[in-house]
Amino acid sequence: MRRRNAIVATLWYAVLAGIIVVMMAPVAWMISTAFKPELQILTTQIRWIPDPPTLEHFQTVLSRHAIWRWLVNSVVVATAATLLVLLLDSLAGYALARMEFFGRDALFAVILSMLFVPLQITVIPLFLIFANLGLVDTYAALILPVGANVTGVFLMRQFFLSIPGELEDAARVDGANDWQIWARVVLPLARPALLAVAIVTFLSAWNAFFWPLIATRSDAARPLAVGIAQFLTLRPGLAQTVQAYGPSMAAATIAALPPILFFFALQRHFIQGVSMTGLKG
Amino acid sequence: MRILAPAGFQARAAARKRIHWTPFLFLAPYLFLFVSLRLGPSLIGLAISFTNWSAVGVPQWVGLANYQALFIDPRFRDALTNTVIFTAMAVPALVGLGLAFALFLNQPHRGRGLGRVAVFTPYVIMPTVVGVLWTWILEKDFGLLNVLLGRQIPWLVSPSWAMLGLVLAAVWSMVGYNTVLFLAGLQDIPTELYEAARIDGANAWRSFWSLTLPLLAPTAFLVLMLTIINTFQVFDLVYVMTSGGPGTSTLTMVQYVYTTAFQFFKFGYGSAVAMVMFVILVIVALIQTRAYRRGLESIY
Repeated sequence: MRRRNAIVATLWYAVLAGIIVVMMAPVAWMISTAFKPELQILTTQIRWIPDPPTLEHFQTVLSRHAIWRWLVNSVVVATAATLLVLLLDSLAGYALARMEFFGRDALFAVILSMLFVPLQITVIPLFLIFANLGLVDTYAALILPVGANVTGVFLMRQFFLSIPGELEDAARVDGANDWQIWARVVLPLARPALLAVAIVTFLSAWNAFFWPLIATRSDAARPLAVGIAQFLTLRPGLAQTVQAYGPSMAAATIAALPPILFFFALQRHFIQGVSMTGLKG
Repeated sequence: MRILAPAGFQARAAARKRIHWTPFLFLAPYLFLFVSLRLGPSLIGLAISFTNWSAVGVPQWVGLANYQALFIDPRFRDALTNTVIFTAMAVPALVGLGLAFALFLNQPHRGRGLGRVAVFTPYVIMPTVVGVLWTWILEKDFGLLNVLLGRQIPWLVSPSWAMLGLVLAAVWSMVGYNTVLFLAGLQDIPTELYEAARIDGANAWRSFWSLTLPLLAPTAFLVLMLTIINTFQVFDLVYVMTSGGPGTSTLTMVQYVYTTAFQFFKFGYGSAVAMVMFVILVIVALIQTRAYRRGLESIY
C-alpha cells in the first residue's frame, strides 16, 4: 500500500511538472526572445538563455512607441474605474440587499438581465454619446462605462444579503442613520467582497479592448491593451516583417510583467476573488 | 413604558421617511451610469438595427431590412459559421481541461499551490499580449511550436490551420479561469460525504462518479455557460493574430460588427449583427437552463 502511494505520488509530480512547463513555457519564451540578439531569434535552434542578453529591443520599442504613456493610461483608467465601481456598487448593492422600497426586485431583475446583453450592442450608441459630449479619446470615455457594470453590483448585493441583520439593528438602536451604518458597520465587514470586486474590476478594465479601441484616437488616452495590438496588426499587407519579433516580445514583456508580478504577490486574494465571480449566473 | 412609547413612535415615523428617500439616494449614482451607459445604449442599439444609418445623415427607419440582408450576406454566414466552429472547438477543451486541472490540483499533495499559480498565470496576461505572443510561437519557420514539433505547419497563414491556432492560444490563456471556478466548486463539497462513502465501501472511482460529479453539476453548468458566452464573443485574439484572415477563414461575429460599424460606418447593419449575437446567446442560455433542470431531475 505504501509502495503504491509512492508510485501515485511520483506520477502526480510528473504530471504537475508537465502542466507547469506547458503553461509557463510561452511566458518564458516571450521573455527570452525579448532579450535575444537578432541572430538568435530567427533560428530553429532552441535557446532559452540569451547569450549575450541585449536590451536593444527594449530601446527600439521605447524610442518608437509611447509605451510608457499607454502603461500610465492603463494604470490610471483601471485604478479610477475600480474605485468608481467600489463606491457605486457598494452603495447600490447595499440598497438592493438591505432596504425595502417599491420596485426593488424588478429593478434588480432589469440590472441582472443586462448580463446577457453583449457589450457589442452598446458600443455604437456609447460611441455616439461620447462623441456628442466631445469626450472621445479621454479617460472619462474609458472609465465611466465601467461604472455601469453588473457583476460588481451583483457580488456586493450577494455579500450584503449574507451578513446578519442584528448588527444593523444594534447600530440603529444606538442612533446611527443609514449612511453611518453603511460606512461604519457594513463596509468594514465587506472587505473580502470589496477586494474580490476590486480585483475582478481591475483585471477586466486592464484587459478591456473592444471599447477602448473605438473610444481612443491617439496616445493621449490609449491604453496598453490597444497600443500593444498595433505591433502585429500594423504589419504591411500580409507579409510579416520578420525581424519585428524581438521588439514585439519586448513590448509584450513590458505589458505582461506588471500583472504577473501583481498576481504572484496577491495570488491567494486573486484566486479567491476570481472564484467569487463564479457565483453569478 | 410611557417614556419609551413616544421614542418608538418617532423611530417608526423616521423609518417611514427613510423608506421613501434613502434607497434611491444610495442607488442614484449607479443607476445614473447604468441607465445612461448600459440599459439606454442597449435599447438604442436595438433601435439603430432597424435603420440604415451610416454615421452621417439622418437615420431612416427600414424595418427588418437589415435582418433580411443578413440572411443572404456571405460574409455574415462566414462570421456566424466561424464563431460557431471556434466555440465548438474551444468550449470542450476549456471546460474539459479546466475540470481535469481542477481535479488534479485538488489532490492533497504539496506543490499544488504552485500548479494553481502556473495554470492561472496566462489568464492575468491581457488578451492582446497573448495574441502577440502566440503569433510568434505559431510562426511557420521559427516559431517555438513548429520547432518543437519539427514541422512547418502554416498556423495562422493558412485558412485550414488558422482557426486551430486561435483555439490553442485561447485555451492556453483562459483555461486557468475555469480551473479556479471548478476548484472552488470542489472545495464546496463537504469532506464528510467522502468519508461516509469510504465507510460504505465505495472506492475512489465510485465516489468520483457518484459524489464528485453530481455535486459538481451546478459549477459545471455555470462554467459551461460563462465559457460559451466568452468564446462566442471572441475578438481581441482574432483582431491581433489574424484580423479575421486569411480571407474570411477566422472572421468572427464581433470582428464583423467591428468592421461593418467602425470601418465601413454602417451603424444600422452592424447593430443588426450584434442583435443576432444577443438572440443566439439568449437561446443558448435558455436551452442550457432547461437541459440542466432536466439533468438535475434525472439525478435526484
